[in-house]
Amino acid sequence: MADTVKITIDDIEYEVPAGMNLVDAAKLCGVDIPVFCYHPKLGYAGNCRMCLVELGTPRRNRETGEMELAWFPRLQTACTQTVVDGMSIRTRSEKVRDGRRIILELLLSSHPLDCPICDKGGECPLQNLTMEHGPETSRMYWEDKMHLGKHIPLGELIYLDQERCIHCARCIRFQRLVADDPVLGFDQRGRRQRIITSSTPPFDSIFSGNTTDICPVGALTTADFRFNARPWEMVQVATICSHTPEGSNMYFDTRPDREAGGRTTIKRVMPRQNEQVNEIWLSDKSRFVHHYMEHPDRLTRPLIRKGGKLVEATWEEALEEIARQLQAAEAEVAGIAGGRLSNEDFFAFQKLIRGQGSNNLAAYPARVAGAEFVAQVGVGVGTNFLDVGEGDAILVVASDLHEEAPIWWLRVKAAAERGATLIVLNGRETRLDKFATHRIRYAYGEEVATLNAMLGSLDDEHIQPEREVEGLEETLRHARGFEASPELAAAAKAFAGAENAILIVGGEGVGAETSHNLAQAASNLLIATGHVGRPNNGLIIVWGAANSQGAFDMGIHHRYGPGYQPVEQPGLDYAGIIAALKSNDLKALYIAGADPVFDDWLMEEALRATNAYIIVQDMFLTQTADLADVVLPTQSIAEKEGTYTSGERRVQRFYQAIEPIGESKADREIFLTLAQKLGHGEARTVAGLIFNQDIAGAVPQYAGITYQALARVEKQFPDVGGEDLYYGGTSYPNRHGLGVQWPVAAEDESAGLVVRPAEAGSRLTATDSALVVVPVTVLYDAEPVMQKTQLLRQRVPAPYAALNPADAARLGIEAGDMLEITSDGHAIRVMAVLDETAPRGAAIVPRRLQAQGAPLAAVVAPVVRLERIGA
Amino acid sequence: MAHILLRELDIPNIKDIDVYLAHEGYQGLRKAIAEHTPDEVIDIVKASGLRGRGGAGFPTGVKWGFVPKDVFPKYVAVNADESEPGTFKDRQLMENNPHQVLEGALICAYAIQAEAVYIYIRGEYWDIADWLDEAIEKARARGFIGENILGSGWSCEIYTHRGAGAYICGEETALLESLEGKRGHPRLRPPFPASVGLYGKPTVINNVETLANLPYILDKGAEAYRQFGTEGSPGTKIFCLSGHVNNPGNYELPFGGETTLRKLIFELGGGTRSGKPVKGILPAGASGAILPATDEVLDTPLDYESLRPFGSSLGSASLIILDESVNMAWAANKMIHFFSHESCGQCTPCREGTYWLRRLYERLERGEADLYDVETMKNIAAQMLGKSICALGDFATNPVLGTIQHFGEDYEAVLGGDGSGDASPDEKEAAATEAAAD
Repeated sequence: MADTVKITIDDIEYEVPAGMNLVDAAKLCGVDIPVFCYHPKLGYAGNCRMCLVELGTPRRNRETGEMELAWFPRLQTACTQTVVDGMSIRTRSEKVRDGRRIILELLLSSHPLDCPICDKGGECPLQNLTMEHGPETSRMYWEDKMHLGKHIPLGELIYLDQERCIHCARCIRFQRLVADDPVLGFDQRGRRQRIITSSTPPFDSIFSGNTTDICPVGALTTADFRFNARPWEMVQVATICSHTPEGSNMYFDTRPDREAGGRTTIKRVMPRQNEQVNEIWLSDKSRFVHHYMEHPDRLTRPLIRKGGKLVEATWEEALEEIARQLQAAEAEVAGIAGGRLSNEDFFAFQKLIRGQGSNNLAAYPARVAGAEFVAQVGVGVGTNFLDVGEGDAILVVASDLHEEAPIWWLRVKAAAERGATLIVLNGRETRLDKFATHRIRYAYGEEVATLNAMLGSLDDEHIQPEREVEGLEETLRHARGFEASPELAAAAKAFAGAENAILIVGGEGVGAETSHNLAQAASNLLIATGHVGRPNNGLIIVWGAANSQGAFDMGIHHRYGPGYQPVEQPGLDYAGIIAALKSNDLKALYIAGADPVFDDWLMEEALRATNAYIIVQDMFLTQTADLADVVLPTQSIAEKEGTYTSGERRVQRFYQAIEPIGESKADREIFLTLAQKLGHGEARTVAGLIFNQDIAGAVPQYAGITYQALARVEKQFPDVGGEDLYYGGTSYPNRHGLGVQWPVAAEDESAGLVVRPAEAGSRLTATDSALVVVPVTVLYDAEPVMQKTQLLRQRVPAPYAALNPADAARLGIEAGDMLEITSDGHAIRVMAVLDETAPRGAAIVPRRLQAQGAPLAAVVAPVVRLERIGA
Repeated sequence: MAHILLRELDIPNIKDIDVYLAHEGYQGLRKAIAEHTPDEVIDIVKASGLRGRGGAGFPTGVKWGFVPKDVFPKYVAVNADESEPGTFKDRQLMENNPHQVLEGALICAYAIQAEAVYIYIRGEYWDIADWLDEAIEKARARGFIGENILGSGWSCEIYTHRGAGAYICGEETALLESLEGKRGHPRLRPPFPASVGLYGKPTVINNVETLANLPYILDKGAEAYRQFGTEGSPGTKIFCLSGHVNNPGNYELPFGGETTLRKLIFELGGGTRSGKPVKGILPAGASGAILPATDEVLDTPLDYESLRPFGSSLGSASLIILDESVNMAWAANKMIHFFSHESCGQCTPCREGTYWLRRLYERLERGEADLYDVETMKNIAAQMLGKSICALGDFATNPVLGTIQHFGEDYEAVLGGDGSGDASPDEKEAAATEAAAD
């Protein structure tokens, strides 16, 4: 930001960045220009007319040739102005105050003034600006007010009060400009103008909740919070989204609730500003899914299998029994941990299992791998998608970011709109394609080959590793064996030649092994082109769970321990554990926070067949828990504190918001109590101490990070909340920590880098009767926690397979037909949906829409029409 | 004087292309293409002094000159939305002399090198739109529209597009939004349509009547055109005469000189039907401030500037004549109702202000208003001025401010209560609170 200009505000001269919006510039100088329709993230619309100022711009006097200040005779909207050198404004003159007063009086003329029952009351820009700038009374006759519809559902999640609406169009613009779901619009005109939704289903957007934050009045409210609590009654507890890997910062707004018997409950979830993570946005899943945390089906006491049935037991009884079993099992134990556990939980878990002498550890979901590559070439510390724009590149391979990491999708899309080169590699069309500079389609099975071909297509000019790289010659030779189409070569060139480049690797359609190879290929491309070790350069893996990154960092892996330090005796991985269960080579299996049976029929088969003692620790009686010998009730993120590590390796703290449900305990506490019982020694159970002492000591990457440092905040732009909520919306300023990114190996310039040829699979091909069945992730799936959240469950589709109409015609399938897809002896039943975007020869099957409803990785499988529904 | 615009009054059936061609039809376009470069055409139009007939009176050639030369494609949008109350001139032109309108549009398109002309036509003119479509086909068959027009190497299409009934779509940027298939919300300016217009491309938007002047200018030259009218407002103007006159209709007269309201109302219009004196004149439909029918007003030669001293403007010259039978507060109520109905709803002052004013006028009509309410009306209208994106918010204040200024007694005549109307704001508030409590 080299260029600045001088502007004068109320006779005081300021220096501000050139090209800045006048409202933002004034804000930067500490001068508030009131706005309703303007929003720093949405730009201007110029319709509310609240930001009127007296404006003078430098003009050349035609007679004298001198530059002089020419004042507009009428008030001008500040929001539509870009600062220019010599510009002068008055924001406090009588004329300006008159203007503001009349705009507010007009805005309130037909406003219902129902602040005492309005959810926005207390944090309402209209209320605040009226107090500051408005008239004390209105000349409007009360009975002359226009009455419009109230309690109008725009969808299941958002309700509209047409009377409160001030027509600023922030919601419409957010949906169009930020979310790319232009499903809101105006209907009618004049005072009858109203917001409507034009989509089926209504308000069809996974970002809809954000409109309630930026709505400057109480016109848009959420279905679960409306008429539920007043803003000033609630205590904000900082937390992190525990469902997708972006690490969205948010607040649980809590309050003791009469309906909950006086217990403190979560009333709503609000974004907590972190301009480096989620800015001020949340996906609807992040915002609304929390209801499961207080669902009556939560497990409240330990369960022990007696006489074939799970019956309630005391903690003492359950833990004694588990300790006895683990003691007997010695090293023949295995652990599987799901990605919603905290770093402290993971650390305690691996300590427990490794204390037994076992390295049989698997993080779940196990289908996305490659964390060791992140440890080497993950994005540099200081990476921020907001800083990515013209001259930079982002490559996304094998991921539908919109469904897997919605906030990254928003930010990658915005970077592309700012001019970044976006390269999207996938077997099918995804919602990122629209914004991509290069759209490359590969055949399923050729994911790694495609990245290899990109590397192979680069000439020496573009191979710029910038430092010693081990294995470069061999890797390049190997990569040159793959053929790149001209389009792919062009994309490779654009990626290599970019100033900064980020490579985002997903796991769409691939299994754990291919996923590992894909990360290797990605890592090779980054290293060879010199896009490592700097901010906005490097690798991001789209993990299947919120804290998968933390799981690997803490050593939930069969080949490496905490901090990616190789173990002497590698243990069993997820597939190995299944095999060992079947062959009864394991005596005990501990599954924490994971429900593999829901996804994987092989796991179900193994659990049913094995003699091993099965311990399951979860919030609900999941399908996996149902097969356990003992089930331990554990806490949700709202009931404990600790840290998560996002997919960008940002370590972030979350705090306890509500009292534990029933007798549930934090995962780490259970593990450590057991470890103690097993004689592994005394252990700390306080999250902060585990982080500062145990983890810092065992994980070199975390060594410099303290629990306290994670709570540090700094001033962010734009200002939101508080006095400034009129400006940035009701998102909250971050008072609880922005988190800290841990540095990867490549950031140490003296560190050697290693590339290895990435083993590529071969193309999967459809046959006369079989299609390539590709499992994909959808945001709204039917996983157990979604099942427990009534609000979101309504948006979960019935299980389906998307087929290209040409394939459907060839196989005699029509839309709505029930299909049976059989692979490895397991049959899946799904409804046929015809979709032009499904590639020829493929059946796209969203996973987790039903139990065991998709293969774990893409597979060629026969697709048979069972019956025609409604025929 | 022979007509320049309403030529069907001199030449029967000029709407037929053969008749039009037999009377110098498409000569202006032929000359423009054969004898002039596009820039020369712009210079000729500048020299003619032709001003936009849509109401603002902006010099047409200057407007064309703002169009960047090196950005393509470019478009011409013909504003045929004609929805100002009391305006019906474009309708007569399109109905009876359509080829002159098309020729004018093509001259404009040639001058800015546009590749398409969109005629945005008022939705209620569906029959005229059909006839225009037929005229377009006939002109195309003669080589005036389409590929390589008259062998010039320049190609241009003409399309008609029907509006859906919103007054605001006559505002040029709302018109563009509507043409693009969006809501008719006026755009923020800058950028102006000349540089960023239809689909983000340079666009000239001209009124039907404006364009209809062009064939004459190109055929006979700027000097010939300037023999009509005044130095500042050259040419002729179609005056739409309506209201309480015996002979309402369109009258084409040169600007200035003998063209006065007195001539229009009493000579051409045949005086008022009731025989009562004229009380007020709306010179620009609902949008211009009302004029009291004083001798000074009636005898002023009409051109774009001459009504300014009276606080009004000629606008599109849609003269609505009101005789003594009219209470002007009643008339203002009708107009405020219109603006409240037609405000697009985008800007706060216009959306809320027109609605509020309407409710106050309804009180007045019910005999429930007092002087305090009239003061409020005046204040709201004054405060609305200059605070909206487009001019509708300003126009909407004219009926209020103009009638209160010139016909205050009409308001007093309909005040309710004891007529004193001097309840203090505090008393009013108390009454309002009480009413709300009920």
